[in-house]
Amino acid sequence: MPTTSERIANILTSKYHVPADRIAPDATLESLGLDSLDLIELLFEVEDEFHIRVPQEGGPAVKASTLQDIVNTVDTLVEQEARASELPS
Amino acid sequence: MRRVAVTGLGIVSPIGSDPKSVIETLLEGRPAIREFSTNGPTPHSNAAAPVSFDPAKHFPPEQRLENLDRVSQFAIAASAAAVRDSGIEFTTENRSRAGVSFGTGIGSANGFEETFAQVLLRDPNRVKPLTVLKVMSNAPAGHIAIQHHLGGPNLTYSCACSSSAVSIGEAYRQIRHGYADVMIAGGAEAPLTYTFFKAWEAMHILAPLDRANPSATCRPFAKNRSGLVLGEGAAVVVLEEWDSAVRRGARIYAELAGYGSSNDHTHITKPSVDGQSHAMSLALDDAALTPDDIDYINAHGTATQLNDATETAAIKKIFGRRAYDIPVSSTKSMHGHLLGGAGAVEFVISLLALHCDVVPPTANLEERDPECDLDYVVGQGRKDQHLRSVMSNSFAFGGTNAVLIARRE
Repeated sequence: MPTTSERIANILTSKYHVPADRIAPDATLESLGLDSLDLIELLFEVEDEFHIRVPQEGGPAVKASTLQDIVNTVDTLVEQEARASELPS
Repeated sequence: MRRVAVTGLGIVSPIGSDPKSVIETLLEGRPAIREFSTNGPTPHSNAAAPVSFDPAKHFPPEQRLENLDRVSQFAIAASAAAVRDSGIEFTTENRSRAGVSFGTGIGSANGFEETFAQVLLRDPNRVKPLTVLKVMSNAPAGHIAIQHHLGGPNLTYSCACSSSAVSIGEAYRQIRHGYADVMIAGGAEAPLTYTFFKAWEAMHILAPLDRANPSATCRPFAKNRSGLVLGEGAAVVVLEEWDSAVRRGARIYAELAGYGSSNDHTHITKPSVDGQSHAMSLALDDAALTPDDIDYINAHGTATQLNDATETAAIKKIFGRRAYDIPVSSTKSMHGHLLGGAGAVEFVISLLALHCDVVPPTANLEERDPECDLDYVVGQGRKDQHLRSVMSNSFAFGGTNAVLIARRE
């Protein structure tokens, strides 16, 4: 099973043509050449990939994030999602 | 008054996507109309003139094509071809006075259909984030300017089936009156979607598919004409201020010499002899030409009962006896009706006719309507003509009439 960072890296290389050797935990999305519209789309694709929903207010904060920040956010949201689905309805 | 030169042509059309194949197809009288199926909740097929278009040939791999509607893809491809054809180079000196004038009737038919289906049938909370930018009417014009870095006027006209004759005419005025020196002008449409077919069918205005011979479905000026056939594509011209085009040694196809714009102001669909003839008369005056100077008319010629009879009467009203001596053809019989892209495609065809001294035919005209009694160039095209000036007519729902005249340089 690929890790969260591998799955995000895969989106960046396949859909945004980011060279694989530039992907590093401390790289910001801006430094990888993604503009503000790319970031909005990336969020949408990450939501689909991980079956999560990034809160509306979480959007802008992502722009200056490093890849590691995004991995952490995704892992947190995935965990919340998993816990929510375990709750009795 | 500044004069306007046409220095580049680009076309993406059902009858070909380069000038040479377009003119060859036209002269043979070979329609690109065929049976066409769309995807939707019920099986659907009708006659249409689709474009064979491979985006990979026009866009780099990193281009995110899902954000570019088919209409924008056509527009960008046709503009790139026109700019290449013109040989113009945009520099820091000229780009601020170079603009875009574009026409589309519907715009992003595919993008709207996908979005409505997603919101109404699937998940209203999973709309693609850049949907607004994909479906907005001025997306094609915006992308063309970005592609060529043009800082002048950037305008989008939407007046149904005359949209891109208007966009070319208004671009001509931008140059003529000194607001710009270069304009990329044209139009595009990509309406071959399930939804839009259903909407057009509901109006009882589409020709029913001729099952025996689908390519003969569109029959302008014929007694048995039965309506229009939808097409898709784009066409673009590069317009330049005459003296600067001459200075840079540009190949000049023709002078865009006149533009007439009028409205029927009587009914939202019913065409009017007065409105149409007024636009032709205005274009002749603008070009300082008389009916005797026009040697070919590319008719609006939709193959609806009303249009073809009305247009014939309007031509006769302006041209008098001369009307019977001028070849008049409807090339929609071959490339279908491109709606907002029609005016541009037909103006490019008129320019090619002038440039190559040929007259394209009207296909599928076997038994003529007694009300339509002009020389419609039946069957095959004519070569070795001596054309001095040509007229291209575009009329529309909403009543907007636009007529363009090109003169041999």
